[in-house]
Amino acid sequence: MADSSSSSGGPPGKDLDSRYAGLAPVAGGTKKAGALNRFDNPWLNWKFLAGASIIGLIFFFVFLGNLFWDTELALAASSPLNMPPVGFTNWRGQEGIPEHPLGTENSGRDMLALIIVGTPRTIGVGVIAASIGMCVGIILGFLSGFVGGWVDDVIRLATDVTITIPSLLVLVVIQSVLPSISLVTMALLISMFAWATPTRYIRAQVLSMRESGYVQMARLSGVPTRDIMYREIMPNLLPYLAASYIGNMTGAILAAVGLELLGLGPQRIPSLGVSIFFSIEAAALLRNMWWWWGIPTVILAVVFIALLLINLGLDEIANPRLRKAN
Amino acid sequence: MSEQKSNGSDRVVLSVDNLRIHYATPQGDVIAVSDISFNLYEGETLGLVGESGCGKSTTAYGILQLVQPPGYIVHGSIEVDGTEVLNLEEEELRKFRWTGLSLIPQGAMNSLNPTMRVKDQIIDVIESHEGKQKDREALRERIFELFQNVGLPNRIYNMYPHELSGGMKQRVCIAMGVALHPTVVIADEATSALDVVVQRIVAQTLVNVKDEIGVSLIVIGHDMGLLAQIVDRIAVMYAGKMVEIAPVENVYANPLHPYTQLLIDSIPSIKERKPLKITEGITHDPRNPPSGCIFRLRCPFAWEHCALEEPPPFIVDDKHEVACHLYDAQFEERRTNALATLANP
Amino acid sequence: MGSFSLNYLLRRLLVFFLTIWVAATLMFIIPRLAPGDPIGAMIARMAQFEGFVEGADLIIESWRKRFGLDDPIHVQYLNYLGNTLRLDLGYSMGNFPATVTELVGRALPWTIGLIGISTIIFFTVGNLCGALLAWYRTPKLLKLMIPISMSFTSVPPALLSLLLVYIFGFKLPLFPIVGSYGRGMVPELSPEFLGSVLYHGFLPAMSIVLATFGFWALGMRGMMVTIEGEDYMILAQAKGLKPFYVLYRYMIRNAILPQMTALAVSIGTLINGSVLVEIMFTYNGMGSLIYSGINTLDFGLIQGTALILIVSSALATLIIDLTYPLIDPRISLEGR
Repeated sequence: MADSSSSSGGPPGKDLDSRYAGLAPVAGGTKKAGALNRFDNPWLNWKFLAGASIIGLIFFFVFLGNLFWDTELALAASSPLNMPPVGFTNWRGQEGIPEHPLGTENSGRDMLALIIVGTPRTIGVGVIAASIGMCVGIILGFLSGFVGGWVDDVIRLATDVTITIPSLLVLVVIQSVLPSISLVTMALLISMFAWATPTRYIRAQVLSMRESGYVQMARLSGVPTRDIMYREIMPNLLPYLAASYIGNMTGAILAAVGLELLGLGPQRIPSLGVSIFFSIEAAALLRNMWWWWGIPTVILAVVFIALLLINLGLDEIANPRLRKAN
Repeated sequence: MSEQKSNGSDRVVLSVDNLRIHYATPQGDVIAVSDISFNLYEGETLGLVGESGCGKSTTAYGILQLVQPPGYIVHGSIEVDGTEVLNLEEEELRKFRWTGLSLIPQGAMNSLNPTMRVKDQIIDVIESHEGKQKDREALRERIFELFQNVGLPNRIYNMYPHELSGGMKQRVCIAMGVALHPTVVIADEATSALDVVVQRIVAQTLVNVKDEIGVSLIVIGHDMGLLAQIVDRIAVMYAGKMVEIAPVENVYANPLHPYTQLLIDSIPSIKERKPLKITEGITHDPRNPPSGCIFRLRCPFAWEHCALEEPPPFIVDDKHEVACHLYDAQFEERRTNALATLANP
Repeated sequence: MGSFSLNYLLRRLLVFFLTIWVAATLMFIIPRLAPGDPIGAMIARMAQFEGFVEGADLIIESWRKRFGLDDPIHVQYLNYLGNTLRLDLGYSMGNFPATVTELVGRALPWTIGLIGISTIIFFTVGNLCGALLAWYRTPKLLKLMIPISMSFTSVPPALLSLLLVYIFGFKLPLFPIVGSYGRGMVPELSPEFLGSVLYHGFLPAMSIVLATFGFWALGMRGMMVTIEGEDYMILAQAKGLKPFYVLYRYMIRNAILPQMTALAVSIGTLINGSVLVEIMFTYNGMGSLIYSGINTLDFGLIQGTALILIVSSALATLIIDLTYPLIDPRISLEGR
């Protein structure tokens, strides 16, 4: 049988690549490929985006409100009492008036102004307390995870004890001996408890990353610990830190609202929680003044749900496995 | 050259035909297993070798119907004792599993449920397929017998996996794998995670159990030396293709495919120190394999023809199949030249 | 593995006692940080509030003795710790001559009952929903329904109480919204009384459950997803085990372990939430007690109630932590 090929007979195996460079490769099948493309950018996560948009919208309305609405109306006796929102009547048969579109409460505060003033105050407490808690948490978490030994033991004990104590109770005790406090003082008090969860969380993440291959490699090749922390661990930790921060903020707002519902919040300029407290004190439920407690409640609920959505989104961004499971 | 297999039967128990498995990725499908076909005979031990990523484990998982998403079987046929596995309904498949095909997994370290006692993990497989066992004493005896088969002490009966050593866990997996006397057992890199001494012992255990219970076995591995001692035939895979399949003596004494030759050459030897010829890794993009022969980009003997046509399996002599154009009768001259260069480099 | 055993037990006990000590110490320090004479200020505020104080002399006397304001600070502290250990929490100024211990003793069972039953419900329902969300065989419709039912997740339980009171107490008066049992009933072990307790407890418990179970479902789903990727799950599939058996014996059984740990950590938050829920429903528990303390400026009552709740939290955490080794074979209490 004759060799029908026109080969030059030279030694095989030389410059194969150049010889076959012109040949088109066989195209592989591409089934299902399109469906996977949406995973390409993890930050395009609908939960994260939806949550962030809700918070963004709330701030946008607060901003507009500050421009176009008289925030002085949030003070007592600035408006007629107990007016219902436009399109509704109250138990006295009064109809809502456009001057107070969301109605007023029993000491003459305009609900719309109250929301414009109160919402950022409520979220603000969360931001202050969560930021302080987070900073302390990052420092202690890294110390605990990196230094180890007795430092780790002490920090872990302190964390466990702080988490076990229901923070609201201690805050109630503190505020019951302090005659009146400002919003910032309240935020500072709340932050005394806001460091423990981030510390525990960051410690766990640092420990697991410390054992991971790429950090071990960096360590073996003599990279200083500080550089390992900043260059290797921090960037990978970012989505976790963000999720932890949002969770912390939720907790701080929860604590603030809790104190306010007990009547222990700053009361002159009311925040959302204080406003609900007033409505309960004045038996707004019995008088069917649903707008008084209902509007702040719904706004708070929306804020909490938005924060949860952001948190869930961040979780999925940090954990690809969770992402794929959807 | 002896063509006699140790168990000598010609009855086919597992027949894989034209099996193709893809992994879906955002950039297109990766071809993990590309149209492979082979038979497994009754009582035989078949070795499946190749470098990491060549698709040998995927082949095993394909046969077992365990390909995890984003992987999926594109086409093919898998027959065990005349049953077409791919046509089974979910419940039929569940019942078929472990009685027809069982698995000794790759990561025995993590393959046992950490919250279940060893006995319960063996009992659950028995009771899932044979129903509730009323005679607990007989069940216990049966498990002790399995332990004895794989050389495990009875005291581990009530233990949890974390209390066992790596080798013991692997033996538990072997005992579990043969508990129902399945037609075919697939051992997927069953010894890779163990240290060398334990590796040999576990491999020996595998062979003993196989002979005692009389199952057919597919052993997947990359350690050519270890495989040579326990298998009857070897199938060599490269980039999702089966390039050579032959009785073990033939492959070692007379490797035909250029890739197999490189693999055999790479087995370290204490008698002579030789430079490593094989280069690491599959060089082409697994989404867009080259035309013609899959190995031509790394093959020292490749010529134009290799790019034009995919080599079919050529039966060189009895039971020795190789997928390489050199063994096409029309290229005999080229083959002679190539083998000459190999003999005198 | 031996390193867990004794060490684990000792650490849990240490956290337990440390928590109680820290809480007690905080209760000692806080009133002393307030400006002025704390006891005098409190009595003055109370007198102002009530118009007159019944048994004011006795209270002042008992508080002076209790705080030992004339002794050096460390003697005061030791006396205080001794009193606290003997569960002597002093008189309640608003409910004289009742002691704080008596009031707490009456309120605590209600709170434990409310939190206990809510916890059992949200932990079971939450984990079940999470497991079903992750399971491949769950019907599509159910996978759609569960997330909808989780809409209230992360809304504070107290705010949810308000909504429930409004809807089921006013608009559709199906449930009572005041108290923990029917007006005029005498606490006894009769079916009528127990029925009334369940009837009154339904909405408060629902507030806690609806606000909480979604978290557990989400956590469980995450754990299930992690476990689905484990090697033993592939082997379970290869073994041809029945799908439902794999679900509970391989997946839920392993996923529940971290959920238990998370439960221990969340007890504090849970108590925070239930205190507020009790207030919304004027439920006869610790929350209402502390609220009446705030309203009557009864510092002794606030302090005692808070302290007992913190001790309860520590105890509940300890119990969960000590039960944990029973369900995770990798941690055992007996030394190996």
